[in-house]
Amino acid sequence: MSADYERFLVVGAALFALGAIGFLSRRNLILMVLSAEMMLHGIGLSLVTFSKLHHSLEGQAFTVFVLTVAACEAGLALSLILLLYQSKKSLDVNVWTEIREPDLPPPVDSSSPVAEEDLQEFPKLTPAGLQPDVSRFGNQAGRELVSASQKGGQS
Amino acid sequence: MDNSLIQILMPLALGAGAVLWLLPSAKHKPRFIAGILGATSFYFLSSLTHQSGSLERDLMFDVFAAVALVAGAMMVTDKSPAYAALWFALVTLAVCGLFFLQSAPFLAAASVIVYAGAIIVTFLFVLMLASQGGQGSAAYDQRPTHGVFATISAFALLGIVVGSVHTWNPDTNATATTKSVVKRDVAAPKPLSQVAQDQEVAGSLHQLGRSLFGDYLYAVELAGTLLLVASIGAIAIAPRRSQGTL
Repeated sequence: MSADYERFLVVGAALFALGAIGFLSRRNLILMVLSAEMMLHGIGLSLVTFSKLHHSLEGQAFTVFVLTVAACEAGLALSLILLLYQSKKSLDVNVWTEIREPDLPPPVDSSSPVAEEDLQEFPKLTPAGLQPDVSRFGNQAGRELVSASQKGGQS
Repeated sequence: MDNSLIQILMPLALGAGAVLWLLPSAKHKPRFIAGILGATSFYFLSSLTHQSGSLERDLMFDVFAAVALVAGAMMVTDKSPAYAALWFALVTLAVCGLFFLQSAPFLAAASVIVYAGAIIVTFLFVLMLASQGGQGSAAYDQRPTHGVFATISAFALLGIVVGSVHTWNPDTNATATTKSVVKRDVAAPKPLSQVAQDQEVAGSLHQLGRSLFGDYLYAVELAGTLLLVASIGAIAIAPRRSQGTL
């Protein structure tokens, strides 16, 4: 079997990089911990590959210890997240910026603050019922009625 | 030299573009464009690196690696944390397949049990506790912070690693002196961890147990103590029932 170690190392490094992206860019506390776990996956894959490369089991033994530490970390992180969530009722990591050193400036958030109404997704209803008959009314009243019905349909 | 640099940089740039495209934003973006970018990147990276020569092994590697990378990218960029946890379970399963290919069957089984079994279940449990409002995904899941910056720096790191792995060759690159140093200090495995050169499957339970409880007995005891301390700490940190439930 010729050597294909390089591909496994590249996949391990790519998993590490993806986990780093998640850890740096996500604001959900749980997803940050999950991203750290994915970085550990990449490291484990690299260690197993090194183990195969050197005809030794040391890399695999080390991966067992990585697994142990990952399990400890997940348990501690989750109980910590539960505690934090209980006091602030939010999983947002930006809520906790106030525990920084008192002489440090507040961290600049590059993403523009999102208004809550931008995020609300309304269900898209299919129009139902008969089109209102506007010919009975005068011109002005009919126009108002049509525009009111269109507004009602949109919201 | 210049050519190989482009060969490494181009797939990485394509992959970074795919992740940037997938990052949550205000506009709705079709995902297949990121899929095309990622597939191109995967193809070029795959053709850049050496294959093993055996068709089944290459095919299985391609499948597992593609699943791991796609699920990883989706986990990082999915708006819903519950879906992200499920994508993470998929990453775990694919990585376990890669462990099998690298002759580590015990590690593959242990990873499935620990990650996909225990860790994912606890994460989903906490997610369920923490999102009882039921108003859909929260605002902090909809927008990433410093998404572009994080992607560029992580892919720069990946580029450095891939470049150094690609230029490294175990047979030709080491000079005589470094080879002897490596032989003496680093590459000599501990006696019980050695594997015969012609052995195909190295990480069976028997061999790994011999290595763990022979060469690394103290470390195993220490890891057990660490687990005990961590579980006590988790119980101590977690909120009490008397302090009010979530």
